[in-house]
Amino acid sequence: MRSGKHVGMLLGLLAWSGIFLHGQDVWAQGFKPSGPIEVVVHSKAGGGSDLFARAIADMTREENIIPHRMQVTNKSGGSGAVAMTYLVGKKGDTHTIGFFTPVLIVTPLTLKEAQVTIQDLTPIARLALEPTVAVVKADAPYKTMRDFVEAAKKNPGKLKQPGGAISSLDNLFRMLIQKATGAQWAYINLESGGERVANLLGGHMDLMLDNPDKSHEYVRAGSMRVIAALTENRLSLYPDVPTIKEQGIDIPILTQSRGVMAPPGTSKEVVAYWEGVFERLNKTPRWKKYLADNLMEDGFLRSQELGKFWDTETRLLRDVLKEAGVKVVR
Amino acid sequence: METLQNILLGFAVALTPVNLFWCFVGVFLGTIVGILPGLGTPATIAILLPLSFQMNPATGLIMMAGIYYGSKYGGSTTSILMNLPGETASVVTCLDGYQMARQGRAGPALGIAAISSFVAGTVGILGLMLVAPPLARFALRFGPPEYFSLMALGLTMVIFLAGKSMIKGLLAALIGLWLASIGTDTFTAEPRFIFGRLELLDGVDFIVATIGIFAIGEVLVNLEEKTKIDLFKVPKGLRNLLPTLQDLKDCRFAFLNGSVVGFLIGVMPGAGATIASFLSYGLEKAVSKNPDKFGTGAIEGVAAPEGANNSETGGALVPLLTLGIPGSNSTAMLLAALTLWGMKPGPLLIQEHPEIFWGLVASMYVGNIMLLILNLPMVPLFAKILRVPNYFLYPVILGISVVGVYAVNSSMFDIWMLALFGILGYVMRKLDFPAAPLVLALVLGIRAEETFRQSLIMSQGDLSVFLTRPLSVIMLLTAAVLLAIPIFRWTQAWRKQTASEEN
Repeated sequence: MRSGKHVGMLLGLLAWSGIFLHGQDVWAQGFKPSGPIEVVVHSKAGGGSDLFARAIADMTREENIIPHRMQVTNKSGGSGAVAMTYLVGKKGDTHTIGFFTPVLIVTPLTLKEAQVTIQDLTPIARLALEPTVAVVKADAPYKTMRDFVEAAKKNPGKLKQPGGAISSLDNLFRMLIQKATGAQWAYINLESGGERVANLLGGHMDLMLDNPDKSHEYVRAGSMRVIAALTENRLSLYPDVPTIKEQGIDIPILTQSRGVMAPPGTSKEVVAYWEGVFERLNKTPRWKKYLADNLMEDGFLRSQELGKFWDTETRLLRDVLKEAGVKVVR
Repeated sequence: METLQNILLGFAVALTPVNLFWCFVGVFLGTIVGILPGLGTPATIAILLPLSFQMNPATGLIMMAGIYYGSKYGGSTTSILMNLPGETASVVTCLDGYQMARQGRAGPALGIAAISSFVAGTVGILGLMLVAPPLARFALRFGPPEYFSLMALGLTMVIFLAGKSMIKGLLAALIGLWLASIGTDTFTAEPRFIFGRLELLDGVDFIVATIGIFAIGEVLVNLEEKTKIDLFKVPKGLRNLLPTLQDLKDCRFAFLNGSVVGFLIGVMPGAGATIASFLSYGLEKAVSKNPDKFGTGAIEGVAAPEGANNSETGGALVPLLTLGIPGSNSTAMLLAALTLWGMKPGPLLIQEHPEIFWGLVASMYVGNIMLLILNLPMVPLFAKILRVPNYFLYPVILGISVVGVYAVNSSMFDIWMLALFGILGYVMRKLDFPAAPLVLALVLGIRAEETFRQSLIMSQGDLSVFLTRPLSVIMLLTAAVLLAIPIFRWTQAWRKQTASEEN
């Protein structure tokens, strides 16, 4: 009996010393990767998700957060459907993670051929949010979104907005604003962000709704002007620019979110490990600098909250797509 | 005066030992990337990004840009030796380069490719240095209607690629246009011709189609001709392995043509190196005194597109560095790298970081000289590869093709597509259909459709949008003139024939 008690105390002491010795590494007890991590992204090398993943792979290495290298695998195609299918096929693999954006929520809603939805995957953490701003060429007559909307009402279909695929957030925002105001302008699909900027600067098109990092340099150089922040609150980057709601246009706010997910059937232990990895990354100055440099906002959510976020985003986006007249298949 | 000062600043940056070293590393890696099909510049830059975080941005950009323009040098090697284009811009180099190799002139073909790359590459940098800002503003005048007209002009090149039968050339182009329509219609998000395969939602990969039709098709055709064992003769002696003075003389116009066409096309953010190389080839053939020589081993047919392919990089850096607008996946990757190094690519970059811009420009002169020194001595070495017996060479070509294609998306589906396109290439060769019009139509068809529909949305369905914008009209007129050339030649030949019959 007594010896049993001693053993217990000894074990307790050991456990405590473990905590003291390893400090914040407590979460690392249990699962730990034993080899390189495969990181699946749905964009080609150089695309948004690809660069985000590579930057994170680099930061986790520099900060010694993961004992092994993160290797990015590009599974582009099908607006994310290929990457999701691949990740679902990795069921039970503890050394594979993937990155998500809202495209992975929208694609299964609109694409009949998609075999899986984001709900099939295991949420790990949401990391960053990218707001949307409305910009026009600096010599355009519109000083506010209201001006633009009035001009569009006078010339229905004449003003033009360059943007991505029709299910992208820029088009969904356009549909929402058109519905809320009764204005109408054309949406012109241009695949690369560079072309969109070129067409706006060249005066061929009139309005761009995109993340600030696409336009900020031109705003700074005086060749573009921000006419609205499509956010709940004003952006610290443009404190003088009123939000769209302040301008009397009441629409639901959509956000470009970025984060991490794992294959289906990932155990609680493994989820906790990855949560811990990204929570630690989230606290580093390097991460804060990265967010600031790329005009992103901290959007940290843990696994459980992220799962709920995916569900509410799915509902919101389904409604918006339907309202926008896009065929919804799920 | 100011330019001179800037250029001195640039060389002060470029000639530091550290930057010289990384410039060499960049162009060396670039050459290798160019030679290996499939492994592209964007992927290489992405893989090497972490390595560059410790460098200062000027050094990093010098190295990454070295990979970018260096890869254009190597691109011609496998096209000439094995009929295996490493990228779509090198497709047109296969036409005459591979024929030259078959005639035992692989050395001169590789040599002229290197020399032309050097000349045009240098002209491209001169352009970047002297006229970048005004030219970038000019490029902004290109909206969707202008790009459509440029694509239409590019598609007329089919008539210069058709070979013996115009009908077969046009049919091949039509197949290419159909292949271009596979994938997601981005205007409606509807899939087209994907046969239930998610992999096809992004369309047919150019590299897979190109390597399949050219390299695999070639291997299959040659397998049948078992009796011919010594297909390639490689003459002995260094003199026979390098271009002669006569070759250089023949290529005078090709150097100029490649330099100017490549640079101007490069400046347009929505055009690309493929259209540059095809346009310069078409132009070369259009003004040539012996247009019939093209496709049978004309050295100008190698010099012009290879030159264009290289001076295109100088052009593509114009919108990237002066406006922060990338025109291709490679330049988009450079833009991303700049951002990750804490630079802010945009209209203020040159003003706020002159050492970056001018350092890069100066390093590109140095890098181009390095590439010439690096590539010319390799010519005899590479030319000797053809002495390798076919039973060894063909499996190597197949191996390189399969690995190269797999490397693009790490997807088995692409390997099956490669096999399918290999069979298509074989059948086309058997039936004497030219392959280049198909690839041209596949690459330009996608852009042509996009820009056509963009233009019509802009004009609310009014077709006159293409005829009311001056730049668009100029290009459409040029296309019309080019289309008239073969008709003119036919009628002339017909007249001669009837005249001789009457006599």
